[in-house]
Amino acid sequence: MDNGAALSGPSPTERFGAVVLPHLGDALALARWLTGNSHDAEDVVQEACIKALRGIDTFAGGSARAWFLTVVRNACFTWLARNRPRDLVLVGGLNELDEEAGASEGMESPEAAVIAKADAAALERAIAALPTHLREIVVLRDINGLGYRDIAAILSVPIGTVMSRLSRARGQLMRDLGGPR
Amino acid sequence: MTEPDGGPADPTDLPLLLQALADGELDAATSLALERRIAADPALAAEQARHAALREVFARLPRPPVTEAFQARIAALAEAPRPAAAPRPAPRFDWRAMAASVLVTAMLASGGTAWLDRRAAPDASAAAIASSHRRSLLAASPIDIASSDRHTVKPWLDAKVGLSPPAVDLAASGFALLGGRADVIGERVVPALVYRHHEHLITLVAEPRTPDMPLAEPVPEAAGGFALVHWTDPAFAYWAISDTERPQLDAFVREFRAATKGD
Repeated sequence: MDNGAALSGPSPTERFGAVVLPHLGDALALARWLTGNSHDAEDVVQEACIKALRGIDTFAGGSARAWFLTVVRNACFTWLARNRPRDLVLVGGLNELDEEAGASEGMESPEAAVIAKADAAALERAIAALPTHLREIVVLRDINGLGYRDIAAILSVPIGTVMSRLSRARGQLMRDLGGPR
Repeated sequence: MTEPDGGPADPTDLPLLLQALADGELDAATSLALERRIAADPALAAEQARHAALREVFARLPRPPVTEAFQARIAALAEAPRPAAAPRPAPRFDWRAMAASVLVTAMLASGGTAWLDRRAAPDASAAAIASSHRRSLLAASPIDIASSDRHTVKPWLDAKVGLSPPAVDLAASGFALLGGRADVIGERVVPALVYRHHEHLITLVAEPRTPDMPLAEPVPEAAGGFALVHWTDPAFAYWAISDTERPQLDAFVREFRAATKGD
């Protein structure tokens, strides 16, 4: 594999250092919220890093963070399918769920001042209570700070779907945080 | 999707637009139009306030740092499996490119598995210092406190670690003080100074000398593919480590010792 190309471009190890290593924190956050704990998250991210290293040639520029997080997300779902198959039950019906996006929005949302009083522990409980497909969007957007476009690329869904899922996820978080505790 | 007045044609899109505004995903023209509507509509203003409130709560979420042990685990992955091209000199002083090239240097020098063996080697301190230096090259910034001013670095280390070695800037001799860092070697937290020499970083780890440590002149060592020099003065035991060439590291040690003689 070390032919002329290796001389003209960075080696796989160099690419790995530039593409993957700066985003370990984001990867761990995503994996931690999808697997449910930090220990499994480290194992899953390590698994993802091995895949990323092996497939580093397939990274064709663009957002390194989005590319690596796609690999991490796939590793998370593989892990979930093996270890927490029940968390994935909802995925089959996703399309219908997105269709009835407006269903929960009729419910009244709490006042902003009530939401703002919530502490980090309450928010963590509320995030954990979200179904997987809403939780991952909240983590990518509100914890890792990715833009809609990157999230759409990572999830391979249209931007409109990202927006409607994010809206439902936040609606549920707001109601959880603003509701009686 | 928007009408001339900036309102969405489909009212069910309005919450999504509000959300996009909160996320900074709208262009300036659409934002302006939407902000005008919000100003005129208390219900929209309330929804906007909810978004802001939720964001406030998110800001309170602790973000666990990537542990050093984990970073080292991942860095070791990249070193082990595949041969790589020789490192090219970094065209600019860029942390990431440097980190990557150091990985390759270290790999060529020691081989991936040799590094793992090294961790079990008797000289645990040298190996720990080497992996700490390696991690610092991988981190976004190799220093916790960035300053070439010893009057900034020293008090910071004093506050953070409880002690600090003499933080002399040797920029005049080609070794610029970049700043300081708190390192963990084994179970101990020790102060480290970071110097730059051309594109290379030199980490200087200092540990208070205990009475049972003999005074020692600089001894060249190597750990984890890095050049390392160890010596003691009456106050501290020092380890200087770098991916630079041995003569440059020796020159650094000479300059540092000369500059701190009076301290």
